[in-house]
Amino acid sequence: MHDRALINVEVNIVPFSTGERRKRSRGDKRILELGSTIKSTFEPVVQTSLYPRSEIDIFVHVLQQDGGLLQASINASTLALISAGIPLHDFVCAVTGGVHSTAPMLDLTTLEENDIPHVTVAVMPKTKKVTLVTMETRLHVDRFGDIFKLACEAGQVIHKEMKRAVSERTQKLVTAMEMGPRVVPSADVGDRDAMIDDLNDY
Amino acid sequence: MAETSNASSAIDVAEQEALKASTFRRLHPKVYLERFVAEKVRPDGRELDEWRDVSVNVGSISTADGSALVRLGDTTIVCGVKAEIAEPELDRPNEGFLVPNIDLPALCSPKFKPGPPTEEAQVLSDRLNDVLLASGIISRISLCIEPGKSVWVLYIDAICLNYDGNAFDAALLAMVAALRNTRLPKAAYNEETGRTTCSRRSLLPLQVNKLPISSSFGVFDSTHVLADPTTFEEPLLDTTFSVIMNEDGKLVSVLQLGLGLVGQPGTLDRCIAAAKAHSSDIRNLVYDTSNTS
Repeated sequence: MHDRALINVEVNIVPFSTGERRKRSRGDKRILELGSTIKSTFEPVVQTSLYPRSEIDIFVHVLQQDGGLLQASINASTLALISAGIPLHDFVCAVTGGVHSTAPMLDLTTLEENDIPHVTVAVMPKTKKVTLVTMETRLHVDRFGDIFKLACEAGQVIHKEMKRAVSERTQKLVTAMEMGPRVVPSADVGDRDAMIDDLNDY
Repeated sequence: MAETSNASSAIDVAEQEALKASTFRRLHPKVYLERFVAEKVRPDGRELDEWRDVSVNVGSISTADGSALVRLGDTTIVCGVKAEIAEPELDRPNEGFLVPNIDLPALCSPKFKPGPPTEEAQVLSDRLNDVLLASGIISRISLCIEPGKSVWVLYIDAICLNYDGNAFDAALLAMVAALRNTRLPKAAYNEETGRTTCSRRSLLPLQVNKLPISSSFGVFDSTHVLADPTTFEEPLLDTTFSVIMNEDGKLVSVLQLGLGLVGQPGTLDRCIAAAKAHSSDIRNLVYDTSNTS
């Protein structure tokens, strides 16, 4: 692609991640689907036009799983992209929601996912836009509206936690840059405050 | 005004120096390393025979029967053990199986491209298999549930999360630590139904007889022996040694790839002596040999 970067997502699930050992081959349809779902979630979010003729690889390795695989992969990919310094339009926060009789539930475990209908929602917290909604079980249409709204609100909560983690790491990096040899000219006081202000905007 | 321009020019000079050093490192890595080794030091500040810090964390993955996470400097390896039940071979009816495997995915280093396992990963898997069998770490007979009918198969899967050289030492340490952390359910074979049932409650720790530890070295320029090479040094070495020792001071395996030191006999002996000291340090650090888990 001559005007934007290509995003490539590879998911690798290690054999000891679930209760039953199962060696998933790379071509497993479920894993490929997971990868392409994550890719389409991030395509509108990453500013790919800044990196023409390049490829951004996202590798997801699952070491242990107990439900919420897609949600955890999306949240981890967001933080990894931020930690790599790749420009994004906004965070992407994902959460699973389900309904058990009439009671709504969030962030389901494997046992719960096998039992009740559930939906995964990924939101961009600042703009409140939703970049992914997937559901593979049957859910009554009356219940869907409530659980969808609840999941969007949960996305805001996750966003707060992510912001806190990113802010802590940035503080550490900035402090390290100031203590080490002064190689980068932008590591002086004015720019440091500008860096932290930029972060607070998000 | 004059002061700020002096400060900024000082910063520019420092920036240019660093840029020159990193460019030189990219374009002429061999000469870069030569300059360091001539001062008896390495690019990361270590002495020629100094080892990187090791940290081990066991039991963090609850879905696996046993697990370990090892960091050797920046090289990070996660290992999980899963046990399954299978029928034994016809000519070895009371022996179980050990199946070690290591994966070096594209995630861990820009050296590895996405796709099927690279040659390096396959070679590493094979070497680990040989060492684990040769060391007698677990008696295959102890994995038997019912001779000729059902035995345990231990799948030992290791995956490298960050590659900074010397994956073999880290992987062996991870596999041994994971095996030591493994607990298997009590299994009983039912003659009538031909099925094996496992207890949900009682878990027995695995009988680990030996604790092999590996120490790897590389020879640079046919003159200097570097212990524990990093990913920058590895392609510049012409020979590599790996010495694996058990806790009773017995050698399990010695591997030399390359010509060795020119004009200096006894290098291998020195390496073995260094490996002995290093492996007992690691053993005291990682395995609390006073209490048996």
